[in-house]
Amino acid sequence: MRAGLLAACVLLAACAVPLDPPPSGPPARPDEVPRPGGTLRLGAAEDVHTLDPAIGYDTGSWAFEQMLFNTLVDYDEGTTIVPELAESWEVSPDGLHFAFTLRSGVRFSSGRALAAADVKYSLERLLRPALHSPGAEFFAGLAGVDEYVHGRSPEVRGITTPAANRVEFALAAVDPLFLHKLAMPFASVVDREAVERVGDLGFRRQPVGSGAFVLAEWVEGQRMRLARNPLYFRSGLPYLDGIEVTVGLSDQLGWFKYQRGEIDISGVPSAEFARVVADARYQPLLLERTTLRTQYLGLNCALPPFDQAAVRQAMNMAVNKQRLLDLIDGRGVVATTILPPDMPGYDSSTLSYPFDPAGARARLEAAGLGHGFATTLWASRDEGSMRLGQSLQQDLRAIGVELALKPVDFPTLIEAVRHPGMAPLFLLGWEADFPDPSNFLIVLLHSRSRGTNNNAFYANPEVDRLLDEAEPLLEPGRRLPLFHDAEVMIMRDAPWVPLFHPVGFAIRHPRVRNYQLHPLRPSRVETVWLAG
Amino acid sequence: MAEAALRGLGSRRRSRRLFAAGMILVGGLGLVAAAAPWLTSYDPDAIVVAHYAGPLPPGGAHPLGTDTLGRDVWARLAYGARTSLFVGGLAMALSLGIGVTVGLVGGYFGGAVDTALMWLVDLVLTMPTLLLLIVLAAVLPPSLLTIPLVIGVVGWTTFARTVRGEVLSLRERDYLLAARALGASHGRIMLRHLLPGVLPGVVVLAALGMSGAIGIDAGLSYLGLGVPLPTPSWGRMVSEVQTYFAVAPWLVVLPGVAVSLAVIGFNLVGYGLIDLLGERRG
Repeated sequence: MRAGLLAACVLLAACAVPLDPPPSGPPARPDEVPRPGGTLRLGAAEDVHTLDPAIGYDTGSWAFEQMLFNTLVDYDEGTTIVPELAESWEVSPDGLHFAFTLRSGVRFSSGRALAAADVKYSLERLLRPALHSPGAEFFAGLAGVDEYVHGRSPEVRGITTPAANRVEFALAAVDPLFLHKLAMPFASVVDREAVERVGDLGFRRQPVGSGAFVLAEWVEGQRMRLARNPLYFRSGLPYLDGIEVTVGLSDQLGWFKYQRGEIDISGVPSAEFARVVADARYQPLLLERTTLRTQYLGLNCALPPFDQAAVRQAMNMAVNKQRLLDLIDGRGVVATTILPPDMPGYDSSTLSYPFDPAGARARLEAAGLGHGFATTLWASRDEGSMRLGQSLQQDLRAIGVELALKPVDFPTLIEAVRHPGMAPLFLLGWEADFPDPSNFLIVLLHSRSRGTNNNAFYANPEVDRLLDEAEPLLEPGRRLPLFHDAEVMIMRDAPWVPLFHPVGFAIRHPRVRNYQLHPLRPSRVETVWLAG
Repeated sequence: MAEAALRGLGSRRRSRRLFAAGMILVGGLGLVAAAAPWLTSYDPDAIVVAHYAGPLPPGGAHPLGTDTLGRDVWARLAYGARTSLFVGGLAMALSLGIGVTVGLVGGYFGGAVDTALMWLVDLVLTMPTLLLLIVLAAVLPPSLLTIPLVIGVVGWTTFARTVRGEVLSLRERDYLLAARALGASHGRIMLRHLLPGVLPGVVVLAALGMSGAIGIDAGLSYLGLGVPLPTPSWGRMVSEVQTYFAVAPWLVVLPGVAVSLAVIGFNLVGYGLIDLLGERRG
């Protein structure tokens, strides 16, 4: 019986379907030059949320907003700020005034010339309270925003347009990140006439900007098509005639369509990852990029027993992070600190905790919890999170902590962790909006961020003081050490168990050229071209 | 349903053989569930591979390989039998309790009571079962007790209808008239005189109900609404690894086969009983 069973299994194992070859396409040649034309075919699991750059705050929306709109400044392929709509800019010595000269000859896809007044209009629109833009907070430091928001002034005093191609900003306080904020899609310049014609709600579906592409068709829940903008200011770009997005493709479905040559860019599902990475036919097509992300186990400092630092430290010592990384196919690096490795101010020598279950038990005993306790982990219900959750379950069981898993939809998870009494433990990740430690340490761990993104409800006045002191400093030599001191202190208090820093992976159709993953933003496609 | 099955099964000898096959399957399942700790040395919830690098194929230390977390598949299958039998059994018992009570009371009292109860049965029957299951399973906190509760609460109507039908045919029999004439209470008549009469039918339904409940449990687990993680459950074992079908087909096939064998086993027992009981009566 047992031998028969074994034989049947061996037979089944032999039935494993060998990996199909990737779709065929022209191999890269050293002398090839970009060839205009063609349609890039993409897939998405869910429909795009919005195309109004004042509203979208998710990767899916940003990917397409940045095809349709431009910002004054942008990032190069790394994290360096480069001109976009702005030709040049000057910053006053006190750091409070920014003056931009606009590039000439930029037109909206409607044909109207883009002028300084449009920049001012776009930011004032973003700041209008009735619009409820999640990006408004980033520009609250402009002079006169308070009066504007409370209706005491019809305009934002801190944004002026001395000439049609000059726009100047005055800040109420020094903000070292102001340029980075202007590079966020929130600061995209929109066509005022189009907004006024279709209304704020209509603009989410009928966007008009100056970007490399225009929206050609959007059948909600099914597909979206973008076409090249013939008026685009960078001559000869984009190379592509258009982009076609098929909605409703799960990881697995997208992968199948990729293998059949029906979409050009895909993720690699976990099941196939090991085989694909080891396959010489696929290797040249793989795209890989470290991102500024940290995946963490949040410990709710407002809920006993996690209100005790010793218990939180014990959690840090109990988790086998290498195994978690193995379970996501090793796509990342183990996290010992809060800041990801590519972040300015990252310091691998920051206080961290070794994997030490015996030590963890000792700390629990010292906290009077030697007999263990039961608690609940809230996590997204996707396959990957459930794997991580079950591994954590096992790690904690080894130190006497019984962990129940609470799988919920992602929007529910985000909502739940904002209530102090709800989730004792939660599994979340954070991806930096800009390359600065404040985007982690202030946004996620300053006491004033409780109720928004400080979901651990962590508060330490000494940490707050250091963060407040560092925030307005321009000089990295003074700024970064203060952030570092704060990070060390946070790690000692241990409101998080940093788990790993994921690495992004994608795979391209062999005909796709020049498609790159970006450390901070969705991929840009205006210089992508398709080999014939 | 029972009659149709009878006709479909053909000769009595064949149906006896099928009944025996069913008993072997069910018995084997019970044995695996009871003896799980002796059949494997692995903890079914424990990640047992030192370094996870994808599921291990069958053979060596892990006769059926390891899953997408590095747990022993054989241990999870064996302990999964416990989950299936426990959830199936409890759900079936609950359905049986509600169904038999409603059927007895409705059939015995007749009139307005019967009309009201059958109305309730129709109401539950008209609701889309799967949706009702999903809503209930999503609302109640998932646990080893709530899942059978959900399945049981949704699945009792067949029991109620069948028992009511039997009672209707029994209640005009002479021995019941005699009992009534002697002044026996309603409760006594239902429990002592009607219940034994409907019992053979109930046993058949119990076996069929068991197979249904095991199937539904697998379906709910597959949808991620079953017993909480990491409790091994066959339905969840399939859903956890479905994207690995091309890479590690055994991971998907084995729990699927286990569910099928359990459902087939209980079905064979149920239909075999119809035949055997019919034989005795006839």
